[in-house]
Amino acid sequence: MTKTRYIIFLSFVALATGLLCLQLLRLQIIEQDDAVEVARGNALRTNRIIPARGAIYDRHGTLLVHNEPTYIVTLTPRYFNPDRASLLAKLLGVEDSVVIARLEEAKKWSSFRPSPSFPNVTFEHYSRILENIFRLPGVGQKVSQKRRYLTNTRAAHALGYISEITREELNSNDRYTSEALYRQGDILGKTGVERGYETYLRGIPGSARRIVNVHGLEIRSYRDGQEDVPPRNVYDIHLALDAGVQALAESLLVNKRGAVVALDPADGSIIALVSAPDFHPNIFVQHMDSDAWHELNTSAFKPLYNRATMNRMPPGSTWKPFMALMALSEGLVSESGPESTVYCPGYHPLGRGQFFRCLGVHGHQDVINAIRNSCNTFFFEMARRMDLVAFKQYANAFGFGVTAPMDLFEQTPGLIPDSAYFDARYPAWGVGTTMNLGIGQGDMGVTPLQLARYAAAIGNGGTLHAPHLVAYLENVITGERLESPGISEPIRVPIAADYFDIVREGMRQVMVHGSGQWSQIPGIPTGGKTGTAQAPGNMRDHSVFIMFAPYVNPRIAVAVQCENAGSGSICAAPIASLLAERYLKGALPNSNSVRLRRQRAENAVSFPLLDSADQE
Amino acid sequence: MRRWYKYLDPVTLLLWLLLTGVGLTAIYSATHGEAQEFLLESVQFNFERQSMWLGICCGAMIVILLTPLRLLVQLTPWIYTATIVLLLVALLVGREVSGARSWVVIGPFGFQSSELAKIGAVLAIAMTLSVRMPSQVLPKGAILLAVTLLLLPAALIILQNDTGTALVFVALIPVMLFWGGLSLSAIALLASPVIVAYLTILHLPTAIGFALLLTFAFYFGTRSLGWTLSAGAVAGSTIGLSSFALYQVLHPHQVARILSFANPEAVEYRSGVGFHLLQSKAAIGSGGLFGQGFMQGNQTQGRYIPEQSTDFIFSVIGEEWGLAGSLVVLFLFAGLIIRLIWIASQINHPYGSLVAAGTAGIILIHVCINVGMVLGLLPVIGIPLPFLSYGGSALLTISVLIALALNMYARRAEFSIYYI
Repeated sequence: MTKTRYIIFLSFVALATGLLCLQLLRLQIIEQDDAVEVARGNALRTNRIIPARGAIYDRHGTLLVHNEPTYIVTLTPRYFNPDRASLLAKLLGVEDSVVIARLEEAKKWSSFRPSPSFPNVTFEHYSRILENIFRLPGVGQKVSQKRRYLTNTRAAHALGYISEITREELNSNDRYTSEALYRQGDILGKTGVERGYETYLRGIPGSARRIVNVHGLEIRSYRDGQEDVPPRNVYDIHLALDAGVQALAESLLVNKRGAVVALDPADGSIIALVSAPDFHPNIFVQHMDSDAWHELNTSAFKPLYNRATMNRMPPGSTWKPFMALMALSEGLVSESGPESTVYCPGYHPLGRGQFFRCLGVHGHQDVINAIRNSCNTFFFEMARRMDLVAFKQYANAFGFGVTAPMDLFEQTPGLIPDSAYFDARYPAWGVGTTMNLGIGQGDMGVTPLQLARYAAAIGNGGTLHAPHLVAYLENVITGERLESPGISEPIRVPIAADYFDIVREGMRQVMVHGSGQWSQIPGIPTGGKTGTAQAPGNMRDHSVFIMFAPYVNPRIAVAVQCENAGSGSICAAPIASLLAERYLKGALPNSNSVRLRRQRAENAVSFPLLDSADQE
Repeated sequence: MRRWYKYLDPVTLLLWLLLTGVGLTAIYSATHGEAQEFLLESVQFNFERQSMWLGICCGAMIVILLTPLRLLVQLTPWIYTATIVLLLVALLVGREVSGARSWVVIGPFGFQSSELAKIGAVLAIAMTLSVRMPSQVLPKGAILLAVTLLLLPAALIILQNDTGTALVFVALIPVMLFWGGLSLSAIALLASPVIVAYLTILHLPTAIGFALLLTFAFYFGTRSLGWTLSAGAVAGSTIGLSSFALYQVLHPHQVARILSFANPEAVEYRSGVGFHLLQSKAAIGSGGLFGQGFMQGNQTQGRYIPEQSTDFIFSVIGEEWGLAGSLVVLFLFAGLIIRLIWIASQINHPYGSLVAAGTAGIILIHVCINVGMVLGLLPVIGIPLPFLSYGGSALLTISVLIALALNMYARRAEFSIYYI
C-alpha cells in the first residue's frame, strides 16, 4: 500500500477526531452554562414543605384547634399488581370495586407517581396496610395533617374554616395569595381567624430540592440538601375568646336566630362572638362533596351568615342611653333644674296620642328615670329637639353607621340615616319621621358588634376600642411573641365623663328596678338596657339587650340580638347576664337565679325559626 | 520461527479491552442507580447482558484467531452468502425491534442480522478487490462487483427499515475502494456527494459554493474535462436531489428528523426528535471539564436521554466524565483506528490489508456518525457506538472484525503461501 494513502487515511481520522473534539469543547466548556440550565430545569424539582398550620388557643390558654395526622394510602398504578386488589380492599375494609375504581382514577393522573387514592384512612386500617405493605407493590403511605377541634366550643364564625384554594383565589391579587406561596390544592383560611391570620397560621413554606427522573419521580436530594430551606414564621394564635363563655353562648342560642358579642371594655378584646345558627368547622375537615356545600350555602338557616357583624336590626330601646348621652352633650336636656325633665302623659303630644305612645304614664322624667323606665315620650322629645346632622355625628362617634376597625370579618356599616337618606326615601319627611329614631326604631340598623362596642364604651366611660379577637401570636419555632397586629388606637367619644356617669346610673337602675331586674347577677352590680325592636309585618319583636359588668370598672360588655324572640327581657337579657356571670365568676354557680335565667333563655325561641328576615 | 501468536498486536488488544471496559462502565451507569427500577425490563439488565456478550465475544475472538488463513480465505464467499441469507431470513421471519425487522432469534439468543452482515461484507470486498496485482490499476469489473456486494446488503437492510445501518455499508464503499487502490480523483468524486448533501441540509448557498469550488478543484487537479464535468454533475445533482427529497418526496416527520439536528430547540422539534438532541446536549454540556462523576450525572441518572444505554451512550460519558473523559474515549477510538490502519499498512497482501482497513473504516464510520449525532453535528441516525453502546451483535461484529485483522496481521507472512 502506498505511503500516500496511509497518510491520507490517518489525516482523515485525525480530522474527524479533531472536529468531534472541537464540538465537545464548544458544548462542554463554552456553552456549558446553557446546558446546565436545561439539565437543571429537567432534573431539579423544588418541593415546597408546607408547615403544620399554627394552633389556636383561647384567652386562658386552652387549646381550641390544632392539627392531627391524617393517613393516606397511595397507589402507583405502574407497580400495583391488580391481583392484589382484593387483598388491599380487605385491608381497607372497602369493596373490591372501590379499589379498582381508584386505580383507574390514579392511572388517569399518572402511572408512575403515587396518587393519594385513599385519603383519611383510619389508623387501624393504616397500620394493617403497613403490616402487609411488602405484599402490596405499588401501594404506599403518606401522613398529612388536618384540623382538629378539641373543645365543645364551635366558634364557627370566629375561628372560620379552611378549605382548598379556589381558582379565583389563586388568580386574584389578594394579599394573602399574591406571594406565590399557594398552589392548586393548597388549603386556605376562608373565614374568621383562619382567613384573617392566614399568613401567620400558614407561615412561609420551606423548600427541598430533589433530583427527579424523566418520569417525574424523585430519586434523591440535591447536593445532600444543602440548599434546602426549612419552613418558617408559623405562629400559634392566642385568642381573647373565652372558650367557656363562647360555648355557653352557643348553647343558649340554640333554637334562635341571633348573635352575641362580648367584649372586654378595657381593651376591646372579643370574649365571645356567636352567630346562630352556625355549623361545626369539623365538616370542612373531611372532603366536602358539592351537595353538602350546596346545602350549607342555600340552607334557609343561613349557617354561613355571620349575624354578629352582618345583621342589621333596629336597636330598639337599647338606643336610649345613646340618645341620653347625645341630648346631655348637645344641651337638649340638662342634668338638673327645670330643663332636666320631660313630662310623660303616656304619649308624645306631637302625634295626638296616636303615633308616639309610651308604655306607661311616667309623669316628669329626668334622664336617669327615663332610661330606667325606658320612657318613650322622653326620647321622642329628645329626637324632636335634635339636629339630624349631630345625631349622625354622635352615632358615628359610637361606631354606628361605620364598620369597626377590624380586618377579620365581613361587616356591614349598618344604617344611620341622614337628611339625604330621608330625601331619597321619604320626599315629604318631617320631624314625625325622625322621632322614631329616638327610641331606636324606624329606618336604622345596627349590628351586634356595634352594640357591644357601644355598651363597652358606656361601661368604661367613653372609650371606643378597636374590637379584636386575637390577643397575641407566638412563633412556633422561635417563641417570639407578636402583639395582635393591626389594632388601631382607641377613640374617645367626645362626650363629657359626667354625662356617662348619669347614663351609667340609669342603666344600673334598669338592672335593679327596670326591665333588667329579672336578669341581675347576684352579688355583682351591673348596668344594662333591654330593647324590643319591632319586626316588620306581624312578626314577633326582636329581643335585644346590652349590658356591662361589673358596674364599676367593668370587665365585660355584652350585646345580644335574637330575631323574632320577643321582648328584650325575655330572651336577650338572661342570655347576656348568664354570659357575664360565667365570665366574671369563671363558672356558673348552682343557684336559683342561674336556673331561672337559664330556663327563660332556653325557653325563648325565634319564631318562626326558619325565617331569616333581614331588616331592609 | 516464532509461533503466530507471538505476532498478536498487544496495542490493539489493549485498546479493545479499554474500550469494552469504558462501555460496560457507561452501560452500568445508564441502567443502575436510584432510577433503575423505573427502566423498562428490556433495558434494566443491559449491563448484565452486555457482560455476558463480552464473554461470547472473547470466545469468538479466540476461535477466529485460531482459524488458519487458508480456511478464512476459502470460507469468505460462504460467510458473505450466509450473512445475506440471514438478512433475508430476518426480513421474512425475523422479529421487529423498535421498527427494524433485523432480528433473528435462535432459542434464547437473538442477534441483529444487519450487524453480522458487516463481517461478510468486509471479507467479501477484501477478496474482490485483492484480485489486483501489486501496483496494478483496479479492474473495472472488480470495482463494480465490490460496489454491488456492498449495495446488496444495504438494500436488504433498507428493506428491514434500518436506514442508519444501511448507510454504514454505503459509506464503506469509498473507504474500501480507496484502500483498494481506486484513483484519488474517483474517491473524491465518490465522497463529494456526502459533503454536498450535508451542506445542503445545513445551508443551501454554502452547498452551492462548495459544489463550484469542488468543480474548480477537479479542473485544476486533473486538467481533464471529463473529471471536471463529472464533478460538477455529481455535486449539482446531489444538491438538486437532496433539495427535491427534502421538500417534495420525504414525509414531514422524516424531514424533521433530518433537519432537527441543526436547530433542536425549535418549537416544532422540541417534543419529538429535538428532545433527544436537547437532552443529549444538555447532558454533555453539564458535564463540563471533569464531569459530574460516576453515577452522579443528573441527566443520566434521571434517565432523561432516550436510548442512553444504546445509541446515546456517549452522552453518559460526556455528563459523568466531562470533557476529560470524552476526549480520552475519542482518543482511544482514534488510537484503535490508527493502529488498525497501521496494521493494514503492514500487511502486504491486499486481502489482509483490506480486512484491517475495512475494520478501521467501519469503526471510523460508526464513531463519526454516532458521536456526531450525539453532539448535534449530524442528523439523528440510529447507529450504535462501537464497544460502548449496549448491543451484543454489534459488539460481536466489531470484535470478530478486530480478531480477523489481528489474525491476518499475525499470520501476514503466510499470505505468500496462500496466494489468491
